[in-house]
Amino acid sequence: MSTRRTHSILPYLLILPTFVFVAAFTIWPTLNATYASFFRQRLNVARFREPTFIGFDNYVQLFHDPRFLNVLKNTFIYVLGTVPLSIFVAFIFAWLVNRKIKGLSWVRLALFHPTILPMVSAATIWMFFFTPDYGLFNTALSWLGYDGPQNWTGNPHLALLAVMIVAFWKNAGYYMIFYLAGLQSLPHDVFEAAVLDGATTWQQLRYITFPLLRRTTLFVTTIAFIGAFQTVDHIFVLTQGGPSRASTVLLYYLWQIRFEYQDVGKASAITVILIAILLVFTVSNFMLSERKEGA
Amino acid sequence: MSKKVLLSLLSLLLITSFLLSACGKATEAPTSVPATEAPTEEAAPTEEATEAPTEEPPAEPVTIQFFYPVAVDAPIADILKGYIAEFEAENPDIKVEPVFSGGYGDTYTAIMTAIDGGAEPPAVAVLLATALYDLVNADAIVPMDGYLDQMEDKDAYLNDFFPAFLENSTYDGHIWSLPFQRSDVVLYYNADLFKEAGLEPPNSWESWAEAAEALTVRDGDNVTRWGLEYPSGWPYWLFQPLAIGSGQNIVGDSDTEVYFDNPDVIEAVQFYIDLSHKYHAMPEGVQAVWGQAPTDFASGQTAMIVHSSGSLRGILDQADFEVGVMPIPGQEPDTYASVPGGGNFYIFKGAPQEKQDAAWRFITFLTQPKYTADFSINTGYIAVRQSAYDLDEMKAYVEQVPQALATRDALQYAGREFAVQNLGEVRNIFHDYLQKAYNGEMTPEEAMAAAQKEADAALEPFRE
Repeated sequence: MSTRRTHSILPYLLILPTFVFVAAFTIWPTLNATYASFFRQRLNVARFREPTFIGFDNYVQLFHDPRFLNVLKNTFIYVLGTVPLSIFVAFIFAWLVNRKIKGLSWVRLALFHPTILPMVSAATIWMFFFTPDYGLFNTALSWLGYDGPQNWTGNPHLALLAVMIVAFWKNAGYYMIFYLAGLQSLPHDVFEAAVLDGATTWQQLRYITFPLLRRTTLFVTTIAFIGAFQTVDHIFVLTQGGPSRASTVLLYYLWQIRFEYQDVGKASAITVILIAILLVFTVSNFMLSERKEGA
Repeated sequence: MSKKVLLSLLSLLLITSFLLSACGKATEAPTSVPATEAPTEEAAPTEEATEAPTEEPPAEPVTIQFFYPVAVDAPIADILKGYIAEFEAENPDIKVEPVFSGGYGDTYTAIMTAIDGGAEPPAVAVLLATALYDLVNADAIVPMDGYLDQMEDKDAYLNDFFPAFLENSTYDGHIWSLPFQRSDVVLYYNADLFKEAGLEPPNSWESWAEAAEALTVRDGDNVTRWGLEYPSGWPYWLFQPLAIGSGQNIVGDSDTEVYFDNPDVIEAVQFYIDLSHKYHAMPEGVQAVWGQAPTDFASGQTAMIVHSSGSLRGILDQADFEVGVMPIPGQEPDTYASVPGGGNFYIFKGAPQEKQDAAWRFITFLTQPKYTADFSINTGYIAVRQSAYDLDEMKAYVEQVPQALATRDALQYAGREFAVQNLGEVRNIFHDYLQKAYNGEMTPEEAMAAAQKEADAALEPFRE
């Protein structure tokens, strides 16, 4: 009897440190933010320094604010534009470097090195790439025959695209690693059997490789999606959310509201919205793939 | 059975040691410190920790923390270390701990977060002069009147600061900050190119635009040299001299009024647009080139740039031509304009009284003419005391670098830097619409009218 009791406590004891950290640094701040989002509190306005209860007003104001809706739209475009493309290209890269080609290590280095750069350094380098007229990016584009607008960080139609390009460049190599690991752990006999049956490379890729990597894809999709929301360092360096908020995404807007406008209540509301979006996505992503596994 | 009990006890021990090492501190003090306390608390143990066997007859040195940002390409950390050593030698009862805290924004965030979390803020820090209202409203700083009134030479002291640098220090009848690392907006021009083209340095909008047009070199459709590069990624500061030169600054003396839709301001916006659309002397749209502009200028890619006086040092090092520096030309002939910028000293309320007093002594030490002169020579900032320019080392320096005098002289044409209540929001509104006008998404009239409307709404709660 006492043996069974000690058995059941041990796993919980072992998880306890992690749980304490998660509770202290994730769960508690989330609850705190949810609570604070129902109050009006602005630290730079003397009479709003102490929080006053206003119910759902922060949320109502946010969803009626055309600026916030524009930020949501930008975020939507940003995530839709970077996540699927990075994952797809990461898979292709991984598949490419998983073969015996000449100069393999150099190719892998070229594809992976953006990952080891800190985002701020990468963004600073790209800031110079994006310089009109003589920046490397514009020079390369003009060789390819491009003669459109070159003011990537100052043009409201291009600024969001510019930050998406930098995010894609930075992350594709990182996701490639996961796919590479997945590819290398695939069983060879399945492929041998497929070759014997006369499958083409494309058919192998589509019907065997990709389905077998479903778990990796699930994982990469989750971290890519969350990463797309979380990483805004490059926006600070490249465009400061501009021009005219054309490249402001949710987390950047949240930072501005909290640290530039000192609006604690509204910032907490945005935090809750951000967490809700991420939670909904992560949970549904897992549930969808669980269902596939079961079937 | 006993093996399993032992295992449970061991894992408990492991877990407890994890928790202790995470929440505990480097000092052996048995403090039960909650995780929210910021590292700024570490200043306190140095004070109280001495249970030294030797008794020191005078009080133990007060240690104050000094948060400083670095915003220019100069060895500020080393320079400050030297000053602090000299200060501590003269004031053995005070120890100053300098803490580099990033840029102005990072410094502000770090201090406000510490205060939010209930920790003790640094006794003194350098923050933007325009952060005044936010800091006062957050009840984070103490006024300096009390200290100033105790000075014998209070009036001489205050009058010796350049008036332009004190314009953002008063609020509600009190003085809250004193200048430290200050700059202004100037026009850098390639004097050699001007001579070649037989042009005089511009003295009005028209002569400026025409000079820029004349100096723009094209190779077919490509521009190989612009006449002017005028950064507008973070536009308000560099834009202000245009508004001032047109006759109306975007702010006045009030902390709740802005004048975005004033006809003179709209003219200034239109002039900026004309420089690219009418005179073809400048890249079109928003120029997000603050970092590149000095290099572009020094390498001859552009004949003129509008930039901070703080970039002078870097430009002089790189340029192989004669660099001219002047205030921004105004609309009418022989009128000029500029605007100050940079950071001031603030004393923080959360620090105990003795640290505030020590901070005040540190501030008066660093604002002595010889230190402001030395700081200016070594960093490119403008010396904040007028008498600093009478000192020998300064006179020698301006003989070598006459442009430094030009940056100082631009101050006489300076208007007040943009600072109002709810600055973050109002500034972002202005930036949004100004950039929309620059990018041609709205006309200057429409953009400024919209900006004024939204800014008024943002400022309404602050108007009595």
